[in-house]
Amino acid sequence: MDYFKEFIKGVWQKNPILVLGIGMCPTLAVTTSASNAIWMTIATTFVLLGSNILVSAIRSIVPTHVRIPIFITIIASFVIIVELTLKAFQPDVYKALGIFIPLIVVNCIILGRAEEFASKNSTIRSILDALGMGLGFGLTLFTLAVIREILGANKLFGYTLINGMKPAIIMILAPGAFFTLGLLLWAMNVIKARKSWFKRTE
Amino acid sequence: MKPADIIKATIIISVIGFISAFSLSFMKKITQEPIAKQEQEKKLAALALVLPGYTVQQEKTVTIDNTSFTFWIATKEENRIIKKAWAFLAEKKGYGGPVQSIVGVDESNTILGFTILLQNETPGLGARCVEVASNETFIDHFITKNVTNKEEVSWFQEQFIGLNAGKPIAIQKKGDWHKEMKDGLIQQNAVTAITGATITTKAVTQSIEEGIQKLHKALTLQEVQ
Repeated sequence: MDYFKEFIKGVWQKNPILVLGIGMCPTLAVTTSASNAIWMTIATTFVLLGSNILVSAIRSIVPTHVRIPIFITIIASFVIIVELTLKAFQPDVYKALGIFIPLIVVNCIILGRAEEFASKNSTIRSILDALGMGLGFGLTLFTLAVIREILGANKLFGYTLINGMKPAIIMILAPGAFFTLGLLLWAMNVIKARKSWFKRTE
Repeated sequence: MKPADIIKATIIISVIGFISAFSLSFMKKITQEPIAKQEQEKKLAALALVLPGYTVQQEKTVTIDNTSFTFWIATKEENRIIKKAWAFLAEKKGYGGPVQSIVGVDESNTILGFTILLQNETPGLGARCVEVASNETFIDHFITKNVTNKEEVSWFQEQFIGLNAGKPIAIQKKGDWHKEMKDGLIQQNAVTAITGATITTKAVTQSIEEGIQKLHKALTLQEVQ
C-alpha cells in the first residue's frame, strides 16, 4: 500500500503541473492536439524514468556539491536517445513536437524529481515516483489538449468533429492554453477545498 | 573542500561523462541509417510530387549571392521531344521561422508542382498551409467507416500549380480556395491568402520569386562553365 501511494501521489496529491507547478512550458506549448500530448507524455516519462533509475542507483557515490552537473548529464543523454529514436522511427511525431523534444532537458519535472526524490530514495520508489509523475503529467496534458483541440480546431485526434463548423481559433493559440490551464487549476482547487471542508464538518 | 574531494568529484564526473558519450555514440550509430533513409525518402517523394511525369536526372548545389542553392534537373520524353524541367528549394522567413518548399517548374516557368517541406507557423493560422482539407468526421471514420477519398495536397499548395513563376505572384484575399476559383486566379497569376496568415502566404510567394531568379542565374552559370 505504501508503494502504491508513492505511485499515485503524482496523479492528484502532488500532480506536477497542477500542484507542484513545474513543467509548464511544454504543457502550454504542445497541447494543441491530443496526439501531441500523448507523444510528449511518452517522451517525458521515458526520460523521467531513466533519469530517476540512474540517479537513485548512483545516489550514494555522487558528491553533493557536483550533483547538478551529473544529473543534467544523465538527463541530457536520455533526451538525446529519445530525440534520435523519434527522428529515426517516428519522423512525423518528431516534426510535430519539434523543439520541445530537446527542451525536455530543461523540463523542471525531471531535474526536480531527480533532486527532490530520486537522490534521496531507493530505486524501486524512484521508478514508482517517475511512473506516477509521468501519469499525472500525461493526464493533465491530455485533458488540456482534448479541450483545446475540440474547441480550437473542431477536431479530435485529427478528425473533424462537426462538419462545417468554424472553430474558435484562439483556443489553439497561446491565450487558449492559459485559459484552459487556469480553468483546470480552478477546478482542481475547488474540488480540494470541498474535500477538506467535508472532512472538517464530519 | 579537501583536495581529495575535488579529485573524487572530478573522477566521478569524468566517468559519467564518458559513459554517456559512449552510449550516445552507440545510439547515433543505430539511428543514423534510418534517419538518412527517412530524409532521402521524403526528398524523393517531394520531387515526384512537384515534377509529375518527369525523371530526375541530377541534383546540383551551387553558390549564388553567397548562399547555397539546390536544384534538380529532370527530363521527360513527349512525342520524341525531350522536355526539361527543374525543381528547386525555396526558402523565406515566415511568421515562425523559415518556410521551406520544393517548387517544380518547366521551361516556360509554369509551376508544375509545389510542396512545403518545412514550416513552423502558428497552428490554426499559418500552419494551415500544409493542412489537407478533410471533411471526414470522427463518426465517419470510426462508426460508419464511410471514408471519403482523401486529397493528399492541401488547397494552399494546390493553387500554385499552373501559375507563372517568372512573373510576380499576386496575393488576393478571397478566403479559402476551392476548385471554382482556379481559372480566375490563374488568369491573374494570383493566389488566395490563408485567412489570418498573410505573412505566411507572402513568404511562400516571395520565396518562389527569389528561387526562380536564382535558378535562372544557376542555369546561365552552368552554361558558361
